[in-house]
Formats: sequence, structure tokens, C-alpha cells
Amino acid sequence: MVEIFRSVINIISALAIPIFIVVFLGWGLVKKVKVYEVFVEGAKDGFNTAVRIIPFLVAMLFAIGIFRASGAMDVVVYLLSPVTNLIGMPAEVLPMALLRPLSGSGSMGLMAELMKTNGVDSFIGVLASTLYGSSETTFYILAVYFGSAGIKNTRHALPAGLIADFFGMLGAVFITRILFGV
Amino acid sequence: MLNYVWISLLLIGIFTAVGRDINDEVTNTYRNGVPVTAQFETLKQRTSVRPTFDGEIILSAVAFDQFYNRSSAKTQQTEIRQPAILTTLSSGKQKLEIPISDATPSFWKEMAKAAGGKDKLEAEIISFDQGKKEIVFRMERVSFVKIKAVTKAAIEFSDTAVTISLGLIGVMALWLGIMKVGEAAGLLELLTKLMTPVTRRLFPDVPPNHPAVGAMIMNIAANMFGLNNAATPMGLKAMEELNKLNPKAGTATNAMCTFLVINTSGLTLIPATVIAIRAGLGSADPGIIIGTSIFGAACATTAGLISVKILQRLPKYKKELEVDVKDAEVKNG
Repeated sequence: MVEIFRSVINIISALAIPIFIVVFLGWGLVKKVKVYEVFVEGAKDGFNTAVRIIPFLVAMLFAIGIFRASGAMDVVVYLLSPVTNLIGMPAEVLPMALLRPLSGSGSMGLMAELMKTNGVDSFIGVLASTLYGSSETTFYILAVYFGSAGIKNTRHALPAGLIADFFGMLGAVFITRILFGV
Repeated sequence: MLNYVWISLLLIGIFTAVGRDINDEVTNTYRNGVPVTAQFETLKQRTSVRPTFDGEIILSAVAFDQFYNRSSAKTQQTEIRQPAILTTLSSGKQKLEIPISDATPSFWKEMAKAAGGKDKLEAEIISFDQGKKEIVFRMERVSFVKIKAVTKAAIEFSDTAVTISLGLIGVMALWLGIMKVGEAAGLLELLTKLMTPVTRRLFPDVPPNHPAVGAMIMNIAANMFGLNNAATPMGLKAMEELNKLNPKAGTATNAMCTFLVINTSGLTLIPATVIAIRAGLGSADPGIIIGTSIFGAACATTAGLISVKILQRLPKYKKELEVDVKDAEVKNG
């Protein structure tokens, strides 16, 4: 069952983009849209959007960069380590889980290291990859998405996003413990 | 809240760096000014053309850890054999140059990074006895490691931000072009109609046939299939469309926050990056985490949607969206 699901998903993701292009542009052709002209017209906005998010992303990434380079994460990990024991998360995984919403590449590095030292298919290895696979780089998305619309006051988006991250982490630990735990 | 989180990241980062550097200075973590005694095995003698000795510094890991006052077992090798070059300067002083390589203990690598020269460490030689193969040297001063790292990170990450943003131009243009054709052909409208029962509940403030809905559906679908390249441009397009309904420029609407939480929760059917890394590291079953990831992300999405809907009712957040009465009066004359 899982096998079938996985291969179907794999096929879809490999074919998705070509199918997408064919369906969208083909449909346009059928509906007598001047496809080339309209495409170029739409593509024109790509540059503006990309440039518009620069200040937002600079503000976000340089703060995250300073935080990471200072080694402040060690302090936060030390302060939070009693909590990890409470929810049944191995202490080694905590730095990676905390870094996940801040930095995609940083947490990916930590995940790979956890898998190398503890074994890819060990409990810690599976938990680390589940934590990575089940969440997103919240702060990056916040900066880029709101940046594209010029939003400076993000209201309740960040608290809601962090609550989501926290429950995602709980869910990942819970399911991994049940299925792969010792 | 973002204001406080942002300034906390900055201040905690900078204060921690300063604190650590002061601590390093007080406890002399890098043993500045303290001479090291080690064995030096000459591999290439000095000749008339080449006024240097090439050789290896030999030091047991235990002695190394003791010297730097570190808990043992941190240095992985049992014996450090570090290639080094011994030069006599014109002033008669002797200098030791330690190029950083794979054989270098990680602590020295850190020191080299902090000392500025990324690829080598320098040391001043106090005595060198070629017969006894014994060398005594003093490493160059290493200080303010964390503060230097923080300064460097600030500049490097600003640079990265621009690189990332500009890197988006191509895919943005591609997907915005395709979306525009879909819009002109009425395909997005069709999709929007199909999904109305769902989107009406998630985004009650957005008219069900608004172009933003089409872009949001496309974004969520692309995320599901792990098509990150396509998801971001569609998501940004959706945000721009949602912003057209915004009564107060520069402030997030309820629909924007809901849409953002769906995105940050990271619900996807195939976490492609993780599977690729697991396969690369030799996992017996790289895809084993698909089910657990979906479960985790589903928990996150549910919790996120519930909290976003609760939070938007709080008076504090409600007030932030209200258009200033004074501004409105001025507009109306």
C-alpha cells in the first residue's frame, strides 16, 4: 500500500511540471489566447517581485546569521533541554529542531550530521529527517511572502506559525516514537 | 511580535558573542602567549636555495587536550601529525607556518578561522633542537573569535539575502508567465470554482472568484508535490493578489496570515530533499519518513489553522487591521 502510494507520488512529481506547462499553455491555445504575448506580459513582474523582497530578506537573514554565529543557540539548547526530556525527544536532536524554523541549510547540515553519527535508519536518524521533512523555514517564508506584498506589520502570522511548528515537532516525536521507537 | 523576535535574535546574538569572548580572554581558552613543546620531524632539510625546513609537528592528543585544557576525546586522532614549515626570517627570528589540512586538529582549524588567515596558522619559534627533534613555539594570538564571527555573518548573510532574492527572478518570471496564460484562458477560474467549498471556509474575507484564490490553490498544490521552485512564485503572486484586497497597506490581513501559516506548516506528500539526503547517506529505506513527515506536518497545519483563527479574534490583532479613523476622515475631506 505504502509502496504504491510512494511510486504514484514519485511519478506525479516527476511529470508535474511538464504536464503543468502543457495543460496551461495548451488550454490557452484552445481558448485562442495569444500565448506568447500573455506569457511575456506575466513574466515581466518576476523582476519587480524579486527585487521587492530584498530588504525584507536582508533584515531577516542578517539577524539569523548573527544569532547563529554567536553560538547563542548552545545557550538556548541548554535552557530548553529539560523540556526535551519531558516530551521524549533525545537531547541531540534539539539543536536541529530549534534551528529548523530559522535556517533551512543550517538545519539540513545538522540533520545530515545526526544521521552520520547515529546511523541513517536509527531512531535519531529517522526522527531528525521527520522533523526536517514535516516543517518549513518559517522565518524565511515569512520574510519572502510578506516582503512581496510590502507587509511590515505581520500581526498574528508569526505566533501562529511558531505554534504550528511546535505542534508539528510534538507530532513528529510522537509518531516516530510509536513506529520506530525503542 | 516579529519586532521583538527580530531584535531579540540580534541582541541575544551580539551579547552572547561578547560574553563568550570575555570568557575566552579571562580563561585564556586559546592559550595566547603560552609556549607549546612538541616533536618536530624534519622531512626536507634546508638547502642553499630553499631556506626552510619542511616537517611535521608530532604531539599526542592527550598532551594537546591537556594544553588547551579541553575534555579528552574531543580530538579524534590519538597522535597529531601536523605538517609545518620552518622559516628563518632576515631578522634572524624563526617562524613556523602551519597550513590547515585534513590532518589538522579541529581546534586549530577553529583558531585559524578566527585568526583571519583561513588556510594557515603562524607561530613564533622559541627554540628548535634538530638533534633532539624538539621544538618549542608560541602560537599567534587569537582573540575576539565570536565577535569577529558575528561581524562576518552579518555581512555575509546580507549578501546571501540578495543572492537568494535575485536568484528568484528566473523562476518567478517563468511561473508568473504560465499563470498569466492560465488566467487569460480561464483555467484558474475553473480551478477556483472547484475548490470554492474549501477556500470559502479558509479565507472567508476573500471573494471566492478572486484571482488570489487561484494562485493560492496552485501554491498549495505545488507544495504538496514538493515542487518548491513552482510553489514560491505562485505563493508570492497569491500574496500580491491578496494585498489588492488589503484595506490597510503594510499590514497583514487575516487571509494573508492564514495562507502564510498553511505554507510555514510545510504540508507535503513527498519531502524530496530529505529523501535525497537519506539516500545519499546510504539508508536502507530512504522513503521511510514519508508517512511520519505527513503526520507531523498535518499536526502542524491543524494547530496552525486553529491558532490563526483564534488569534485573529484577539482585540490586539483586530485593532491593528482597523483603518485609522483620522486618516479616513482626512481622505473624505
